[in-house]
Amino acid sequence: MTYEEFADTRLAPLLRYAVMLTGDPHQAQDLVQETMVRVQLNWRRVARADSPERYVRRMLTNQYVDWRRGSWMRRVLLRGEPDEAVPAPADHAQSAVDRDQIWSWLSRLPRRQRATLVLRYYEDLPDAEIADILGCAVGTVRSSISRALATLRAEYVEACS
Amino acid sequence: MIEDDLRAAFARHEPLTPPTGPLRAAIDRLATGRRRRRQRWRAGGAALALLGVLGIGVPLLTPEHSGPRTAELLAEPGPTTPPGAVNVLLLGVDGDPPEAARADSVLLVHVPADRSRAYLVSLPRDLGVPIPGYGDDKLNASFAFGAGFRRPDPARGYELTRRTVAELTGVRIDAGAVLTYAAVRTLTDEVGGVPVCLPRQVRSIHTGRLFPAGCQRLGGAASVDLLRQREGLPRGSHDRDQTARIFAAGLVQRVTEGDVLTNPVRLSALLAALGPKLTVAPDRPAVLDLLRLIPTLASADPVGLGLPTIEPTGRDRYLRTDPRLTPEFLTALREDRLGEWVTRHPERVDGAR
Repeated sequence: MTYEEFADTRLAPLLRYAVMLTGDPHQAQDLVQETMVRVQLNWRRVARADSPERYVRRMLTNQYVDWRRGSWMRRVLLRGEPDEAVPAPADHAQSAVDRDQIWSWLSRLPRRQRATLVLRYYEDLPDAEIADILGCAVGTVRSSISRALATLRAEYVEACS
Repeated sequence: MIEDDLRAAFARHEPLTPPTGPLRAAIDRLATGRRRRRQRWRAGGAALALLGVLGIGVPLLTPEHSGPRTAELLAEPGPTTPPGAVNVLLLGVDGDPPEAARADSVLLVHVPADRSRAYLVSLPRDLGVPIPGYGDDKLNASFAFGAGFRRPDPARGYELTRRTVAELTGVRIDAGAVLTYAAVRTLTDEVGGVPVCLPRQVRSIHTGRLFPAGCQRLGGAASVDLLRQREGLPRGSHDRDQTARIFAAGLVQRVTEGDVLTNPVRLSALLAALGPKLTVAPDRPAVLDLLRLIPTLASADPVGLGLPTIEPTGRDRYLRTDPRLTPEFLTALREDRLGEWVTRHPERVDGAR
């Protein structure tokens, strides 16, 4: 596979994944851009991986989780608050709590926890693969998901009461 | 139900995803720019060589060598990496200079002539070996004997260990470094943590911290804590040697994958942070030249191996080389055929990395 072929098919899914991670289209673009530049520069190594797709997803996730690394966070921070101007399309089936609130609660989770939620509930990956992407044990994935869900549930209770 | 709400929230926000066209163009433009910059750095020679420092570990340059050597390298750009196989000796030392006098881990990094990957060979510190001028003793005593006891000098400790290892293995050692725990801690933090995949859990007898089996990313303090653990492990210092190999492999991988190698700002910050912690002597050819190898390796995944040894027998107090396996292993090492040896003895290779 060449880099061009990879980008043809994988760039859009990666960008969607980054939107779910960051919750913001601009940050997502920066994140994907930074990762894909490195992918392109190191393409031979990426292509040798068993699954280049997973390898790149791991790079992107690390970049996102690791606040110390990479310059993209600094650039984003300079830009200030995440762009709130883009409204999500309305949804007719409203549950007890406005479901868009869950989206804003996600942004308060630690990044690693948010990443596990995205990988499981958006990408629908098995826990073993999530563990591989995050470079941790399967048990750690599970505990981090259950902690994240507990936090979200607590927000629900607070919003409903 | 919260799970369903999450799925729905993710699906609802998919339309936030921007178009890929402009992004793809931006990626190509940036990659071209960085590639050009990288080539300029490569032409600079010395800079890239410094990058490699991080790949192998921390070569500790004696002050009297570091100044002029850097200047020399800057003056003569161009590829001067040595042909053929390259061996680098890394010593992990407990404590900081001037007290540092015990080499806890002795690691020989072998880079074959085909530059396929690095091999990390650990030599057990309890191995009984002839130490030039001191007779038969434990391998790690060579560092203490060389460094001296009143005011230990790590450079001389390194030198005696190097001669000991060279006579034991019969390989030429091209360069070397002494790593103190403080240097390891700084280096680890500067690269943003190192991934390690442990084959079994490790409980620190120093801090009580539990390192679970499996993969995890460790910061500097945690890494040093882990690297010190020996007691409580089933095979004692053999297991600690394995931990050191796993850690070194993770570090190499982290540095080759990360942008440490391509980002001059991060690189100079890292070198500045490490600078004062480094001592000790490179061998010829200049260690910096060797470090230029790192970016050329085909695989970022090093292979970890222990020197084959047998437990002490009778009244012997030391580990001994395995009469069956060691000669064959050392021949393979000397003749640069470790790849074949590993294929024949897959059970000797660290499973986890």
